[in-house]
This record gives sequence, structure tokens and C-alpha cells, in this order.
Amino acid sequence: MGSQYYSVGGCEVSTFVQLVTRSLETGSIYALAALGIIIIFRTSSITHFAQGAMAMFNTFVVTILFTKMDMPLWMALIGGIISAVTTGFLVDFLIIRHTKKVSPVAKQIITLGLIMVFVGVIPMMFGVEPLNLPQFFNTGDITFLGAKISYNGLFNISFGLIIMFVLFYILQNTKWGLAIRTTASNEVVARMMGVPTKKVTMAAWAIAAALGVIAGVMNAPTTTVTPNLMDSVQLNALVACVLGGFQTFYGPVLGAYIIAILQNLFAYYFSSTWGTQLLYIFILVFIVLRPHGLIGKKVIKKV
Amino acid sequence: MTMKTLLAKIKAYPYLPYISLGLVLSLIPTLVYFDVLRSSYVTLIGAVMIYTIVALGLNLLLGWSGLISLGTAGFMGLAAYASAYFTVNLKLPFELSVILSIAIPVAISVLVGLISLRIEGLYLAIATLAVSEIFRKTFAEFDFITNGFSGKSAKYPTLLGFFKLDNTMTYLLLVIVMVLIMILIHNLINSHVGRALNAMRGSEAAAQAMGIDLLKYRLVAFALAIALTSVAGILYVHFIKYVEPSKWNLGLSLNILAVIIIGGVRNIMGTFVGAFVVFAVPDLVLKQIPYFGKIANFAYIVNGLTIILVILFYPSGLIRVFTDARIAFNKFIAKTRGKTA
Repeated sequence: MGSQYYSVGGCEVSTFVQLVTRSLETGSIYALAALGIIIIFRTSSITHFAQGAMAMFNTFVVTILFTKMDMPLWMALIGGIISAVTTGFLVDFLIIRHTKKVSPVAKQIITLGLIMVFVGVIPMMFGVEPLNLPQFFNTGDITFLGAKISYNGLFNISFGLIIMFVLFYILQNTKWGLAIRTTASNEVVARMMGVPTKKVTMAAWAIAAALGVIAGVMNAPTTTVTPNLMDSVQLNALVACVLGGFQTFYGPVLGAYIIAILQNLFAYYFSSTWGTQLLYIFILVFIVLRPHGLIGKKVIKKV
Repeated sequence: MTMKTLLAKIKAYPYLPYISLGLVLSLIPTLVYFDVLRSSYVTLIGAVMIYTIVALGLNLLLGWSGLISLGTAGFMGLAAYASAYFTVNLKLPFELSVILSIAIPVAISVLVGLISLRIEGLYLAIATLAVSEIFRKTFAEFDFITNGFSGKSAKYPTLLGFFKLDNTMTYLLLVIVMVLIMILIHNLINSHVGRALNAMRGSEAAAQAMGIDLLKYRLVAFALAIALTSVAGILYVHFIKYVEPSKWNLGLSLNILAVIIIGGVRNIMGTFVGAFVVFAVPDLVLKQIPYFGKIANFAYIVNGLTIILVILFYPSGLIRVFTDARIAFNKFIAKTRGKTA
């Protein structure tokens, strides 16, 4: 690969296109996970550290439905989304709803406790064998500017974009979206204005869990389904929120795609072992220059 | 001086709980020697003390200054590997290795803190999570220092170049260090630093108005937490005598967080109780329970659930059980007396 890249100009373009499409694919995964985190952050003011753990848990459900119950993948995914919505509901109903008087730091720690629970129950419920989940489309690719792009890659990119487009449409143009945005901007006032904030928060947890399982199912074919499945996705999604800023819904999504692209470029042109690590250091430096992220603005606190 | 005043004086001595805990713990090797306890108890309680030291550092950060760090395991591993490398490969004296193995993680933590603490508390959690991930990768990749996945061995410490410690002596060293750190933290939180941290947790704006430099004190708390984490890492590698990269994962950081929440936030003795519950009770009690003891990760699930339950229903932590039990007992006594009279 390396010698080709230096010798032929055409190959350079094709490599680059290949890198970018692969980045868009991982970007979709990060963006879905980041969107889940930011929806929770904005509606419940909790940094949702367990987003990845819950996604991992529900991806296990999909995998079990697919491998042990012989369901087709799409049906297993629907089963996984139902399971995700249920876990989201339950977490909100059993725990988050009762944290009105709990400090913000303690709320974050609750989500850390959730990680332990969801990771902990995996061996008990699904065994310790690492499982495999296939891609939606195993064969077929198209050639674009000399770069081969698999159908599955295209599907992941477009599926991610469609879900996010639908979600942003709902957020901006429907009554429910308005309710979510009002709750995000000020929960107390929203409640006084008659917004059913309890239902909104519950919906937010369900949506976040569903986004998580979709990201998990997209991520699963690149590795094996183990309790560590979503660890790096979770970290990258959190970093995407930092990069994009916690104040808007679209900032983290933008951050997620930027991180995915830079990660692949760093890995290819710099070092496949240290690319990601270097990227994190870059982002830390970026935070020094723009503390509130790309889109973020300083929140002025009243005393 | 009569007996009564002497007793009262001893009771009023502020370090009494820490020193008596140390004395009780230092009896364990003797009990093992006389076959009262199994010999594995020395390793088990030694590990509990090591995790108490880490958790004390994190308690300072989380409890008194309200910041979360998720990089505990990474920094602890860094110190452990550094000390193993300095003493085994470079043959540096133990004391010098200790100083270097504390200085390196603290220097890195100050850099990370300078960047992430300028904004908001929550950024520290994410930054330390990322840093911990970088460390874990480094432990696996830098095999000329860390010996990669096969793990690295170290020896019991040699003090002053000639005083070689054995297992029991290293255990006693752990007791002494832990008690000293408890006393140190006790003094620290009653000093101006402790008052500043307390004020910041109460209201950042009010603390700032009182002339407290937020960044400075947050940075002090974070650096101190990492210094204690490093001490624990060093003690770990010279007590267990072995480190491997997979040990220093997020799970360990979360378990140490569980120590603080379960034991008692802002409570020094509570931290020891928490460490005992999280790191010794699974081996001593949970594994003996018939059906559930067989489940892999059972302790991890229990710790996770306990964190959530404690935060929701019993925010002072398990250390509060003793006080609550005494209050309930006194009430009960008063009631029965009232009935008989």
C-alpha cells in the first residue's frame, strides 16, 4: 500500500477517499452514541457515562436473538431496540426520577454505578464466550474515484444520517421536539409552563438507549461482542461532546464526525498504534484554546 | 493525674481512631503465625490498605472538592510500573524510586489538570478517562519497560540500601504508611486548604468572592489525589510483586469510586470500611453464598447496585451505620426505661 501511495497520484486520491468513507462510517457510530449522551445531558443534566454500557448490553440482546434464536438480523435489531427502550424506561423510572435532590456529581456517579451493573450482568445472562454479529450486507461494493466502498459501509453511513436527520426534524419541527428543547433549556420553567417533563426525560432515556443499540450493532461486526464492545466508542463519543460543546444538540454530532476523520487520517499517515492517543492530546490542546468546544458558548451563571 | 482524666485525655486525642486501627491491623500477621487466620489474610488485608490509600486520595478530590477522576487506575498503574522499572531494571535505591514514581504521575496530572480544570468539573472526568486509556495502551505497547502482556515482576522493598523487608515487614510498612496518610489527611482538611475546598463545594461563586482561587485549589486537590494514588501504586507493586496491563482498567477506577461512596464521602475511617467492603467482603463472604457466589462478576454487580442505593437512600455511607445504630439503641433504652418507671 505504502509504495503505491507514493508512486501513483491516482492511488493517493483513492486512498484518501477510502479513508474518508471509512471515517464517515465510524463517524456515524460515534455520532449516534454522542447524540444519546447529549440528549441525556440536556434533558436530565447528567453526563451519561453508562451510554456505552447500556448499548453493549442491548447489542448482546441483538446478538443472542440473531445467533441463538435464528432471527433475521433486521428482526433481531428491532428486538434490540425494544429491549433498549425498555432498559431506558426502567433506568429513568427506577433511578433517575428519584434523583431530584441529588447533587450533579452524585448523579454522574449513579451512571458509573450503572456501568458496573450492566457490565456485571453480561456473563450471568449471556455467558463468557465472545460472540460475533455479521454485517447487514456481507458482499458487494461500488467503486468511486478508484476507491472501493462496501454496500455495508454505504448502508451504515446513510442509516446513521437518516436517523439523525429524522431526530433533528422531530426536535425542530414537532410539539414533542419543542417539549424536549424547552426541558433542555430550563426544566423548572418548562414544568411550570405545563410541559410534561417527566415524560420528556423518560422519552430521552429511551431514545438514547435506542441510539446506543444502533451504534452497537453497527460497531459489532468490526470486533467481537464482549463487555468491552463499546468502551472506545463511549470514550470517543464523550470526547466528541467536549469537542462539539455541551450546549447544542448538533455540536457533538459534528464533533463525532471530525474525530472519526482525524482518527483515520492520523492512523494512516502517522501511526496506527498511536494515532488515537495523539488525537486525544490534540483535542486537549484544542480545549485550551476554545474551552467550550466548537459550537459551545460560555454559560453565564447567576449567583 | 487520676485514671479518669488520663482516659479522657486519650479519648480526646484526635488521631486515636487511626492509630488504634493501625494497631489492630498490625496484629494480623501474628494471628496468622499462630494459625488463627489463614495466611491469605495478610495479602487480602494488605490489598485493602493499598486501596484505602488510593481511595483516601480520591475522597479528597471527590468528597471535599466535588470533582470526579476516572483515571485512578491508569495513574496507579503508571506509578507501579515506574517503581518496578526503577528498582529492577535501573537498580535505583527504593527511596529514590519512590520519589521519582510519585513525581512523574503528579507532573502529568498537573498538566492534565491545568487544561481540564479551567472550564468545569465535568471535563476532568472525561480528560482523565482519555488519559487513562492512553496509559493502558502505553503499558501494553512499551514492552521494553513494562514487559507487555506477560507482566512485570518486582521485589519487596529494601530500605536504606541494606534493610531487606519480607512479606510481614512489607505488610507492617503498609500499616504505617496508611495510618500516616490518614493523619495527614485529617490535618489537611482541618487546615486552610481543607476550608477552601469545603467552601468551593458549598458555592463556587461565594468561594471566589471570598478570594479563593478555584483553579489553584482544584489543582492542589487533584495533584494530592494523584500523589496518594502513586503511593498506593508503588506499595502495590512491591507488595504483590507483579503487575500486568489489564489490571489498570476502568473497572478498577469504578471499584475505587465505590469504596468512597459505600464507605462514606468525606470520612477517613469510612474510606477504610468501604475498601474492606469492596475488596475483602467479596472474597470472605459473597463467594460463600450458595448460588450467587458462583456467578462471575457477582461482587461487581453488587458494588454497582450498592453505589446507586447508597446515593439514593443513605448518602452518608456505611460508616454512618454505627452512629445510627447507637442512636436507635439509645432511643430503645430510653423507651423501655420510660415503660418500667
